[in-house]
Amino acid sequence: MKHVVVDPVTRIEGHLRAEITVDEASGKVTDAISSGTAWRGLEIIMKDRDPRDAWAYIQRICGVCTTAHALASVRAVEDALGITVPKNANYIRNIMAATLTVQDHIVHFYHLHALDWVSPVDALAADPTATANLQNTVLGAYQLPMRGPVSVTEAYPKAFPEATPAYFAAIQAKVKAIVDSGQLGIFSAQWWDHPDYKLLPPEVHLVAVAHYLEMLDKHRELVTPHVIFGGKNPHPHYVVGGMPCSISMDDGNAPINTARLAIVDRAINLGRALVNEYYLPDLLAIGNIYVKAGRVDGGGMAKERVLSFGMYPMETFSGASNGDFFKNLLIRCNGVVEDFGKGMAAAKFHEFQAEDIQAPDTITEGVEHAWYEYPGMEGKDLHPWEGVTKDKFTGPKEGTGTEWKTLNESGKYSWLKTPKWKGKLCEVGPLAHYIIIYTKAQKGLLGDPTWAEKMMLDQIQAVSGVLGLAPEVWMPTMVGRTACRGLDCQLHAEINKFFFDKLVANIKTGDTKVANTEKWDPSSWPKEAKGVGFYEAPRGALSHWIQIKDTKTANYQCIVPTTWNACPRDDKAGHGAYEMAMMDTKVQVPDKPLEIAKVIRSFDPCMACATHMYNTKGERIKTVTTDPYAATRMED
Amino acid sequence: MEKRESMWDAYLRKGMSRRSFIKGCVALTSLMGLSTDMVSKVVEAAETKPLPVVVWIHGHECTGCDESFIRSAAPLASDVVLNSIALEYDHLLSAACGEPFEAHLDQTIEKYKGQYILAVEGAVSTKDNGIYCMSGGHTFTHLLQKAAANSMAIIAYGTCAASGGIQAAAPNPTGSAGISHFVGGKPVVNVPGCPPIPEVMTGVVMHLALFGTLPPLDSQGRPKQFFGNRLHDTCYRRPFFDAGMFAENYDDAGAKAGWCLYKLGCRGPETYCSCGNLRWFQGMSYPVQSGAACIGCTNADFWDSGANLSERLAKYGPLGDVDKIGVALTAATAVGVAAHAAASVVQKKTSAKHEGEQVTKE
Repeated sequence: MKHVVVDPVTRIEGHLRAEITVDEASGKVTDAISSGTAWRGLEIIMKDRDPRDAWAYIQRICGVCTTAHALASVRAVEDALGITVPKNANYIRNIMAATLTVQDHIVHFYHLHALDWVSPVDALAADPTATANLQNTVLGAYQLPMRGPVSVTEAYPKAFPEATPAYFAAIQAKVKAIVDSGQLGIFSAQWWDHPDYKLLPPEVHLVAVAHYLEMLDKHRELVTPHVIFGGKNPHPHYVVGGMPCSISMDDGNAPINTARLAIVDRAINLGRALVNEYYLPDLLAIGNIYVKAGRVDGGGMAKERVLSFGMYPMETFSGASNGDFFKNLLIRCNGVVEDFGKGMAAAKFHEFQAEDIQAPDTITEGVEHAWYEYPGMEGKDLHPWEGVTKDKFTGPKEGTGTEWKTLNESGKYSWLKTPKWKGKLCEVGPLAHYIIIYTKAQKGLLGDPTWAEKMMLDQIQAVSGVLGLAPEVWMPTMVGRTACRGLDCQLHAEINKFFFDKLVANIKTGDTKVANTEKWDPSSWPKEAKGVGFYEAPRGALSHWIQIKDTKTANYQCIVPTTWNACPRDDKAGHGAYEMAMMDTKVQVPDKPLEIAKVIRSFDPCMACATHMYNTKGERIKTVTTDPYAATRMED
Repeated sequence: MEKRESMWDAYLRKGMSRRSFIKGCVALTSLMGLSTDMVSKVVEAAETKPLPVVVWIHGHECTGCDESFIRSAAPLASDVVLNSIALEYDHLLSAACGEPFEAHLDQTIEKYKGQYILAVEGAVSTKDNGIYCMSGGHTFTHLLQKAAANSMAIIAYGTCAASGGIQAAAPNPTGSAGISHFVGGKPVVNVPGCPPIPEVMTGVVMHLALFGTLPPLDSQGRPKQFFGNRLHDTCYRRPFFDAGMFAENYDDAGAKAGWCLYKLGCRGPETYCSCGNLRWFQGMSYPVQSGAACIGCTNADFWDSGANLSERLAKYGPLGDVDKIGVALTAATAVGVAAHAAASVVQKKTSAKHEGEQVTKE
């Protein structure tokens, strides 16, 4: 048995540490630790803030999935105060959300995940002419034709992969120059001699490296809708009650007019081209080789339990707590699927509805193995509206508090809490969406599918055909998790256009309203209110929970996708999704655990999102000034 | 130490023409806000200066600054990362992880002692010996001090690294602070913003790469070329302020017409940044242009500035009560201009005071 530490896990957001115990003879991982190693306390900072400002503060949880927390936050505050946003604001927010997902998935695949599969070093052996031929073959074999019921506003797609020997020779020359210079920069110190890189022919490496570089420059153009509607990206602006970007076709100075909408449309078109012409063909070409080589491991929790809150309110809704949010979803994946890995006959679906929000035992968080405590309520799991917590750092198993050697798997070992659905742990993310919709369809629970649900089922069928495996086999795997993110990207690119069309059609009726300011004045608010905001972020199920008292934020809590996936274990409920996935992954070279880094990145970790802490009720919080000499000077 | 490649060497190696090299230099000159008579100096710098090694470390942060950096359009992200600098350590983009990655950091620090640029994203967590921010089994404070001690210069990217940022907002649960007092007196270029504009971030690197010196800094260590203007003075909605024409509520007639957002809480009058002149995405927009009040994200303590973000700067300092501007309709323009002139005088006095305290860091 060998104990291996991977810290820091890079090409993610934030600070993550993994520890595994691996049997060197068989490559089997017998135990795994996932630890969030930083904590910023943003929810404590939310206390007593103006709920109308909450989106700006809490959006700073994460700059990678920027906009996600702002959207969940305004939805939570609007739920608490009973505010319905105008139709245009709902459409614009959906465009903001879809834009984020398309760009985030593309950056994840090419810049955060690709170097686990492809190597610039191996690309040096490629023949440029053969690579050009391969590019054409890939485009012919692996494009997926699914499209949404959307308008066509471009004469032809404006982004196509280059497929000439000269192009690939130029990229190869650049890579060679970097390697020869000895200054490998971002390509330094990776395990490039790992056997996994030999699974792919050199030409596939060169195609992927070329597209890595191309997407590094193109991804910025995908987020211009955030810049138009929210003024900037990362961290665009929102407003409680709608959006700040007033629409007027009568004023040259208006934030939104025809010319501004044209910029949004062009970005949406580009997203569709990039996912259809680059991302999906590259993904399926690589994934197919891995699956054909028998690499269908790394599923873990996906085989046992996945969760989602449902995606995209088609039209405006009066709240989430009253269940209205769930009534007009474009994708009705709100629920949990258990035992998908045991085959469709054994799989079970549980819908997530309004009563699950209020129920004290449905959504909870525990702290058994997290560096927090519940004074007076030890061993209990608490509903996010009732959360009472205190930090309790206990140090590592070996080493000191500031110099860790190994973490203590039998005690506390992470700044992430352990979220639960009915006492059980779940995996969330694009894979969860696809498992849930597919299971509902197979069991006849979907009724008439919406166009988006139909597209998801068509995508699953097409990929199953390419891989030659049933969905129950290929989906709950590392490759399946990465593949479903690509399908999710294609889906969201269509959804983006779908809501853009709705926005334009609505403006055409003469409706230009983007903000409902009837309850802007805090004197119109109830003395006490609580609300929840749901949003299926790029990494999965996100929920923000707010309590408002006397017009101030009394309690603010987020249960974040990466908290669901990367959480520490629970003595009753077992391991979280990262730990289960690591334990379901074979490690070939224990000293170079590339498979471990790869399976963790198949979740797209976002650690700054995941680490947080509840506000302590009524407790005086220690204040520390930012005065550099005040590190030891605290004011109680 | 082995010879390192200059930008001109890189062009030669790639077989690119002298003409395209000069064109690149001209583009850089304008990017950096320099006048065209500086082109020859830029060319000279690009011919002879080696590519700088950059080590980029993350403290308490959200990675929004890294994300902003890779959205740069001029220079393009790929050109910066693969051609203008040697980015030897960065949690977001680096291929490697774990032990070999940490070993590579140590080798880089040793090999380029006193010659690399340290880019820091995020705040230092000081409470309880820094246990709230660990990486590679060590505290971030340890990493920062180690990397800073051997660096040539330090760039504090974003408001978190410059002054503590969001996690330092009251009650600052983790004792977070800006990095400047934890780097052993090394010069620090502060590039605040939440996040900063992409081209502001890459522009600072380009200045260092080309001239081998820090860009000229103001009293708060910020590059003057990007932080020399108050948003209020460069805002395209400024004429409406002067005329006393304000949006009173989000989405009212004034908001649709693109009038001044001062009454909705806009921090433009107290915020020094490039939002008004460079704008985001090469002139595409900035919050005010998209109808949202500026929250002053380049200001050191903008999360705790006293007023709620959604509320106007109540009778904000030198500007007085702008309601009076609006009430006195006929005299609106005159009063607005007068109030504004007064504000500018006070601003000048304030900056004159700061100038006196300025420490030259070049």
